[in-house]
Amino acid sequence: MRLVIARCTVDYNGRLSAHLPEAIRLIMVKADGCVAIHADGGAYKPLNWMNAPNTIIDNGDHWVVTNPKGEQLIITLLEVIHEAAHELGDDPGLQKDGVEAHLQVLLAASPDAIEPGLVLVRREYPTAIGPIDLVCRDGQGQVVAVEVKRRGDIDGVEQLARYIERLHLDSSLGAVRGVFVAQVVKPQAKVLAEARGFRWVEVDYDELRGLKADDLTLF
Amino acid sequence: MKFRCERDLLADALATAGRAATGRTGTLPVLSGLRLELVGDKLTVTGTDLELTIQLEIEVGGERDGGVVLPARLAADIVRSLSAGKVEVSVDGDDVSIAGGRSQFAVRPLSLDDYPRLAAPASSAVTLPSGEVGEALRQVVRAASTDEARPILTGVLLTAEAEGLRMVATDSYRLAVRDLPGASVLGADQKVLVPGRALSELQRLVGHASELTLRLGERDATFEVGNTRLTTRLIEGEFPNYRQLIPASYPNKLTVARESLMEAIRRVKILARDATPIRLQMSADSLRLTAITQDVGNAVEELDAVLEGTELTVAFNPDYFAAGVEAVGGDEVTLETLDALKPAVLRGVGRPEYLYLLMPVRVP
Repeated sequence: MRLVIARCTVDYNGRLSAHLPEAIRLIMVKADGCVAIHADGGAYKPLNWMNAPNTIIDNGDHWVVTNPKGEQLIITLLEVIHEAAHELGDDPGLQKDGVEAHLQVLLAASPDAIEPGLVLVRREYPTAIGPIDLVCRDGQGQVVAVEVKRRGDIDGVEQLARYIERLHLDSSLGAVRGVFVAQVVKPQAKVLAEARGFRWVEVDYDELRGLKADDLTLF
Repeated sequence: MKFRCERDLLADALATAGRAATGRTGTLPVLSGLRLELVGDKLTVTGTDLELTIQLEIEVGGERDGGVVLPARLAADIVRSLSAGKVEVSVDGDDVSIAGGRSQFAVRPLSLDDYPRLAAPASSAVTLPSGEVGEALRQVVRAASTDEARPILTGVLLTAEAEGLRMVATDSYRLAVRDLPGASVLGADQKVLVPGRALSELQRLVGHASELTLRLGERDATFEVGNTRLTTRLIEGEFPNYRQLIPASYPNKLTVARESLMEAIRRVKILARDATPIRLQMSADSLRLTAITQDVGNAVEELDAVLEGTELTVAFNPDYFAAGVEAVGGDEVTLETLDALKPAVLRGVGRPEYLYLLMPVRVP
């Protein structure tokens, strides 16, 4: 990651023309070739940017960044105030929903919370279209595919339907049924799940975590 | 579409309907918008997240009929920011122009075609006195859960009783029951579960109106207050059997002045941090409130009170206890107890129509 704080002007020539007049800005050149020009405000959106792959020609007082479509970003450096380069390494990625992942772990440890008698076969059961959160067997030995969401909406039900379609291709599993599990299942998702022949179950995250054990409750 | 309107009138309409528009739009981004529909001089503003819909009609100076969907928060922010006086809204090409004083905004609308069609409310209507309903909502909605993981408990049960209508809410730590004698909204043994969130919004709306109209459909309920209509989906499922939680009698009954108790709770709560319970030490002629927060300090206050029964110490979550004392109303309040671990009941003296059942907290 190369960071340059400079008094500069920026000209973009591509689908449209844009000009940033002279001002102090932060220019970021990322390891993959992305270039972004930031002002001292705004959370995330640069004033101007060019996605990788790019060719960057550093002419000292001005850089020419060109992408494969021929669009150009010309950064004219009038005064370089600060410059630094750092190796950031690989990023582990944004963990969007820790609760959902944790719910999956907790339910894998206590499938009984989904329905009594359920025994875990495998977490993250692999299929050609992605892993199924939990695959279990019920008391009668039937295979049960479980999709776990924090908020259960119709997209999650459709996802479960696609997984079950894949499991049906494996005749060794026999008949497979689906259970859609979430902290809250939206009314539309309940209707769709029932229409697809799936059960839906709402689970209490705090209870699964054992946080409510000590509280006295009315029922 | 083109109309002119007083800024405050439009700002209020956008803010009210905007409370039903959602930031969590999922697969339907248009739900973050408000639909404005102009017919003659009547502007209808609608916000919905498909669970809750708020629709208002206001009188404007209409010039050209039409409809548009505006981003809810942006439109409300713009109109509120304009200088007082007339605001003109018009659809100009791809943009919606909002102008007032010497300010002019152009806003890109959301797709009108994507905005969901809303079902008409049920035709049979019941009229209720809004003052009494507003007071009942104030007393009951506070006990409904806000934990979406337990959707049944986020609702307020409306159930038909021999004497009239009953409202019940519980979050499993407390239970509020309010009777509205003479109000016949439901058929015999009929009960419906209305989301507490919708009733909180209704509570805001009933403030100045004298009457409230309720239309009950199979899956939704519509409340009409003045020029505003609020429609909510009903919650499906079985509400807990709350009757079995209320014992027929209690051996201990403490009577204390409500306002003094409220003030004492307010003071003692300062030292009841991080949901530390408040202890109530009940003796024949006094009530002693204590809060202790480890490594911070403690607070003690003693009040005059009358106890019939056995001396007892019981502890409660301070917020839940304060909410109950505040809700019961009246000059004096009674606290009926069985023991330190069984639910206690708060009632206002001379106010049999409301009770607040509260689960104690276990303390060492």
